[in-house]
Amino acid sequence: MNVSYNWLKTFFAKPLPQPQKLADILTLHSFENESLIKKDNDYILGLDVLPDRAGDCLSHLGIAQECSAILNLKLSEPKIIIKEEKKIKAKDLLQVEIKNKKDCRRYTARVLLDVKIKPSPKWIQEKLIACGLSPINNVVDATNYVMLEMGQPLHAFDYENISHKKIIVRRATAKEKLVSLSGLEYKLNEEILVIADASKPLALAGIKGGQNAEINQNTKTIVLESANFNPKLISQTARKINLRTDASIRFEQNLDPNLTQKAINRVAMLIQESSQAKIAQGIIDIYPEKTLPKKITLDFEKLNNVLGLEIQPSQAIAILKSLNIKILQKTIKKLIVEIPTFRQDILIAENLIEEIGRINGYEKITPKLPCDFLAPVKRNNDLFWQNQAKDVLKELGYVEIYNYSFISEKEKDIFQAQAGKIKNPVSSDFEYLRPSLVFQLLANAKENLKTFKQFKIFELNKVFLKEKNKIKEIRKITGLIINAEENPQVIFSKVRGEINYLLNKLGCDKINYLKDSNEIFWDKQNTLSLVSKNKNLGFFGQISPEFAENFGIKEKIFVFDFDFEKLQSCCSEEKTFEPISFHPPALRDISGLLNENISLKEIVESLSQSIKEIEKPSLKIKTEIADIYKNKSLINKKSVTINIKLQHLEKTLSSEEINKVVNHIIKNLSQKLGWEERK
Amino acid sequence: MNFEELKDIIKNDLEKIQDSSQLREFSSVYLGKKGKIRNLFLELKDISLEQRKSLGKEINEFAALIQTEAQNLEKTLKEKEQERKQKLNKLDLDFPGEKIETGHLHPLSTIRREIEQIFQLMGFAVVEGPEIEDEWHNFDSLNIPEGHPARDALSLGKTLYLETNEILRSHTSAAQTRFMKQINPPIRIVIPGRTYRSDKVDASHEVNFYQIEGLMIDENVSVANLKAILQRFLKEFFREDVKIRLRPSYFPFTEPSFEIDMSCAVCNGRGCGACKKSGWVEILGGGIVHPKVIENGGLNPNKYKGLAFGMSIDRLTMMKYKINDIRWFHSGNLKFLKQF
Repeated sequence: MNVSYNWLKTFFAKPLPQPQKLADILTLHSFENESLIKKDNDYILGLDVLPDRAGDCLSHLGIAQECSAILNLKLSEPKIIIKEEKKIKAKDLLQVEIKNKKDCRRYTARVLLDVKIKPSPKWIQEKLIACGLSPINNVVDATNYVMLEMGQPLHAFDYENISHKKIIVRRATAKEKLVSLSGLEYKLNEEILVIADASKPLALAGIKGGQNAEINQNTKTIVLESANFNPKLISQTARKINLRTDASIRFEQNLDPNLTQKAINRVAMLIQESSQAKIAQGIIDIYPEKTLPKKITLDFEKLNNVLGLEIQPSQAIAILKSLNIKILQKTIKKLIVEIPTFRQDILIAENLIEEIGRINGYEKITPKLPCDFLAPVKRNNDLFWQNQAKDVLKELGYVEIYNYSFISEKEKDIFQAQAGKIKNPVSSDFEYLRPSLVFQLLANAKENLKTFKQFKIFELNKVFLKEKNKIKEIRKITGLIINAEENPQVIFSKVRGEINYLLNKLGCDKINYLKDSNEIFWDKQNTLSLVSKNKNLGFFGQISPEFAENFGIKEKIFVFDFDFEKLQSCCSEEKTFEPISFHPPALRDISGLLNENISLKEIVESLSQSIKEIEKPSLKIKTEIADIYKNKSLINKKSVTINIKLQHLEKTLSSEEINKVVNHIIKNLSQKLGWEERK
Repeated sequence: MNFEELKDIIKNDLEKIQDSSQLREFSSVYLGKKGKIRNLFLELKDISLEQRKSLGKEINEFAALIQTEAQNLEKTLKEKEQERKQKLNKLDLDFPGEKIETGHLHPLSTIRREIEQIFQLMGFAVVEGPEIEDEWHNFDSLNIPEGHPARDALSLGKTLYLETNEILRSHTSAAQTRFMKQINPPIRIVIPGRTYRSDKVDASHEVNFYQIEGLMIDENVSVANLKAILQRFLKEFFREDVKIRLRPSYFPFTEPSFEIDMSCAVCNGRGCGACKKSGWVEILGGGIVHPKVIENGGLNPNKYKGLAFGMSIDRLTMMKYKINDIRWFHSGNLKFLKQF
């Protein structure tokens, strides 16, 4: 809100601090001053009035009241003197009806006759211009002036255009329309409150006037409106029709219904002063339920406990009084106070504590750390494993990426995915919640290939799965690997090794790889699924070259995509020391031919089975598939080499003992898989 | 062979020696117990005692001389070889360091961890709330009921709604009452995470951004505590003796409410472009938890009080690394990410 320094000065007999000083004081005690601009011989403060104080502080009087409380200066309000025409009664000229008292809490009207429409006096024009409003004529300017002075929005209608001399506050109907003072046509409906006459809407209540009863050069008789509407209704209407005005932002917050009368008299007085208008006797005032001052009890101990400060009761009382809060009762422990109705924001004791705290000054509160228990903080296991996984991938050379939670309809279609829809997306790029981290990583890859030939990237974040009518959020860990200069088989091996390393570091062992994949983007013959404890953790493999090419990437792309929540459930921090033998290990290689259909998994299973059968606590056996190769001379066969490492904890093994183990392994391989030993 | 002849040969041989292996051979041929010099004594048997004495003496002296010379030569040769080896070992110290490719964490991950760690050291547990929320937790539970202007400002313009009528949380405060119901007081938690707003994306606005919410609930909690906790946090985070100030503010879920400003780290509070000449930078919001929120969390507001605060992880990250545009965070650009 633009606040004129000169205008503020008129409320005080004593001088105010210099403009910059005053702005700083208001920042610390009331509202942040966002700008201070010199305008002619005045200074304009740009105060960010807080939403809960819009009811009383979007006005010069409200800000003056703040100054008065903070600076302890006596404030004097302008005197309101009006001369009514005894022979002309307002109630004979106009009827007012409120259809629903919940929509309109109070409607106050006055009728002024013999009004001459002309420019406002210079002092009014100057103040309006200072605050950023353009002067229009003496009637409209007077209503704006009083709004800026007291915070009550007002409206003036041309009496001649009010049919049947009746004002009705009612909901509009779907068939009605209204052309606003700015010339825009609004289609109305039952959700919108209007000020109407007997036949048509005249104004959007609390938001903007219409052209139907606009004040013009020939206007002689006017109806002044000073009303109070349901804040919720005004707020929602203003946002729905996307028209927020000086009036609506004041009505949205709890404006004091008791303000209407003072404000209407002030406007009448200004118009009478400027044009010698006659004021019909009496105020038409429909006020079904009077707003009364609230009583609140304030406990001194609570006051000091919440603020963490020692405030003397006398000091607290002085601050409350400076805010026009009445002390009704006082004991050693507590106060009962009455809140003036213009402070609709003060509802509970905590509000009073805030008032005392801020007027007294938050800088007077000495920081004090809470001194109590020092129970250890419980570790968040979700975060622990996320951090572990991120660190391992970082160790392996992966770069972490953050992508948006959204994808476009186009992306959704390319990936043929089910995705949750946003009702009010920011843009068409952000229409759906991402069901996978893969899509955006591919886009990242495409972009980065312009600069880099090889990279490894990953994201660990939430995805959103649409299942029937529900949208479920789960955490995934997804990596993407491109190395334009390396043989795909080598990349595959490396990435597989990296995944093994990751899983091993997370203590997640006994992982099986199965040949299986579902989503459209995988190259099915080159993709494996990871299974641990009967849970499918996700997939690892190559993106279908065709799919990648359509996406605009020629390079071979490897991706792993795991459900992190399932993966986490397989993680463990347990580690057990394995005794180390000081006796030399025996190393043996065996080579043989296998049918090419035999999978790696089958070989590994056979080896594990053999080890299980002959391993003893003192005799450790390790096997490793060292090499697999195929060539033309091997029809339907592949050659496999296996390293066997034997080590005894207590002795050096004899060749007899070694052969026994090796022969057992070969026996199992030949019986189950048809191993032909090459010698 | 007579002695004189041998003397010449030995001297000659000694002069020809180039390296220690030749020297070793020379020594074994001439100087050892079975060496040629020793052999000369065998020939002395046939000559007179007189002659034998003088010649024996001569041979011994000669042997000692060659011995010394060989030893000296050995020393020189060793030194020479050492020198040659050293030369071979010499590195070119002007070679530049090789560029190492490593992995990188996202700067937001790093800063988030740092923030979490400071709060953990102050006794706050780290918890996470859901990203898909219901309106009750995001608004109503926080004393932002239907029809409240703050609700309208947030829900009609700024909040993303799903087809299921759920919403994407517009602030991490949404999880406050969830944890009040889960944890018995005293409660000390921070809730970090991704939040969502329907904002037009520009250098300082994003649709996805990151917040961390702090919540402490106990029988006695004060503004003085809030001030101390935040001051300590900022001091640890910026590793500087920052000053803070509280300004009145308004949040429906705290009363009193504050904006917390920090003395500008760029100009030390003197006033500069970064702080719009004020010397202060707005860094977070906070306050004393509104009794209604305590009640919505299933606790007795007459018994328990709380303090709450919230800040933007993006903003702290941008301040720390002097990143000028928030859009970098979701750019996926490796030239950006590899800097951290």
